[in-house]
Amino acid sequence: MLIRSIRAEYRKLRRSYIWLALLIMPVMSAGFGTFNYLNNLGMLTQQWYSLWTQHALFYCTLFAPALTGVYCAYLCRLEHLNHNWNTVMTQPIPIPTIVLAKLTVVSGLTALTQLFIGALFLLSGKLAGLTAPIPTALPLWLLRGWWSLTTEAALLLFLALAIRSFAIPVGAGILGGFCGIAALVKGFGIYFPFSLLPLSMCSHNPSDSMECSTAAFVISSTGFFLFGYLLCVLWKKHRDTQAG
Amino acid sequence: MSESIIETKGLCKSYGGTLRVKDLHMVVPEGAIYGFLGPNGAGKSTTLKMLLGLTHPTGGEIEILHQRMNDKNRLSVLRDIGSLIESPSYYGHLTGEENLRILQILRKAPEQNIAEVLKIVRLTGQKDKKASQYSLGMKQRLGLAAALLSHPRLLILDEPTNGLDPAGIQEMRELICELPQQFGMTVVVSSHLLSEIDQMATHVGVIANGVLVYQDTMAHLHEKSEHHLALRTLNNASAQALLRHHGIISEQREEVLLLPPLPDRTIADCISMLTAQQIGIVRIEDRRKNLEDIFLALTEGAASL
Repeated sequence: MLIRSIRAEYRKLRRSYIWLALLIMPVMSAGFGTFNYLNNLGMLTQQWYSLWTQHALFYCTLFAPALTGVYCAYLCRLEHLNHNWNTVMTQPIPIPTIVLAKLTVVSGLTALTQLFIGALFLLSGKLAGLTAPIPTALPLWLLRGWWSLTTEAALLLFLALAIRSFAIPVGAGILGGFCGIAALVKGFGIYFPFSLLPLSMCSHNPSDSMECSTAAFVISSTGFFLFGYLLCVLWKKHRDTQAG
Repeated sequence: MSESIIETKGLCKSYGGTLRVKDLHMVVPEGAIYGFLGPNGAGKSTTLKMLLGLTHPTGGEIEILHQRMNDKNRLSVLRDIGSLIESPSYYGHLTGEENLRILQILRKAPEQNIAEVLKIVRLTGQKDKKASQYSLGMKQRLGLAAALLSHPRLLILDEPTNGLDPAGIQEMRELICELPQQFGMTVVVSSHLLSEIDQMATHVGVIANGVLVYQDTMAHLHEKSEHHLALRTLNNASAQALLRHHGIISEQREEVLLLPPLPDRTIADCISMLTAQQIGIVRIEDRRKNLEDIFLALTEGAASL
């Protein structure tokens, strides 16, 4: 039933503008990061690692949380418009499955975004003339970043389900992104869901390992994911369906 | 359970402390076209949304398709229901066929059902057009196609002709009337227009201010319509006295005398008698209290409760 629900969700994305956002925002993020890197070559001397700090700074603070907010808002906007919640909620599909299908699709979109960001990083580095070997940690940064974004998605999806506004999940993502950096710098990264992205992608400390143990990261991110997912399910179960 | 496909007991829904649906006992027999009639804001949509689990009742019970509607049975109940609630649902950036494909995947319905329901609602020629470019009538028909997709046993349609032009209304009405015979479905259809329900329904429930004020077969409602004979003469006062003398009580209203329904023979005798007394008869006509009057009486009665 989950597979069918996920298939149906992907069908809804046909001919949608969401793909345009997936293309444009990572390009902007990589552009800003590379521009910043090239303008500070005097200070940024660690080649790929320096470039990564600049890419990750823009990506983790602004573009990735905003884009995840866009994905969540878009998937829910499809249902908020034209009374589609009435149809969705009268299908013989359990509510936890409906929510999980939407989360899986957002997670799939963030996975594509992560791959694209990785490719853009490599392309930027080549264009910037970097000659050092490519960091072996890159796949790990991208993989952990994907899971961190999935965690953020569970929380932003709740906002998108509960509030019929496109801007609020996007705005909350951006606000979360900035607060996340602040919390990370203060050393509370593991305790704040929006800090997990810069923490796991090593935006401030480009190395293979995070500033916390993998177990702590997995427990924290999985906890926040389950919290967000449960909020979504309980909301849809107990609230009367408002369509319009 | 009886042969009823829907039965509610003491169904209530309150919003902000105000009861919008009060103690509703709705009974829909299997195979019926049940017209759910009431003025705008009477509680029709709220009731239908409760039947579908979209809205949680404040009190009461719902038995639907011989099962109690609750969290546990929700999915097995919904599996046999097709519905069109409020306005039609559609994804505007997808074609009509793609919209149906999504539901076909979700409901695990056979693929050929898509072509079949498109044919039933006469949208086959428009299936590749984006739903946002459909007219309102086409969107309603797409909504009906979606409701029919998995051949449900029960179809719940909330004001399906709302906003349609006369041709669209007639088309939708014909489609709905065909369903019980062709597919053995039970249909619950709501409307605020009595004439519409009169042309479609076998059973009727009238709701006003959240209260079900009447529920029976359409035939019974028709029996409630009263016959009168309206008689206009050149001297109504004398005519009334003369008729009373012969045991016929009439009521003077405006310029006519209202007589109870009488056998043809008696009417003929009265005319002869009045003519013999040189009371000129100007007009005699059959008057019937129509369904619209009954509907207004029922709903106004509830409004004053």
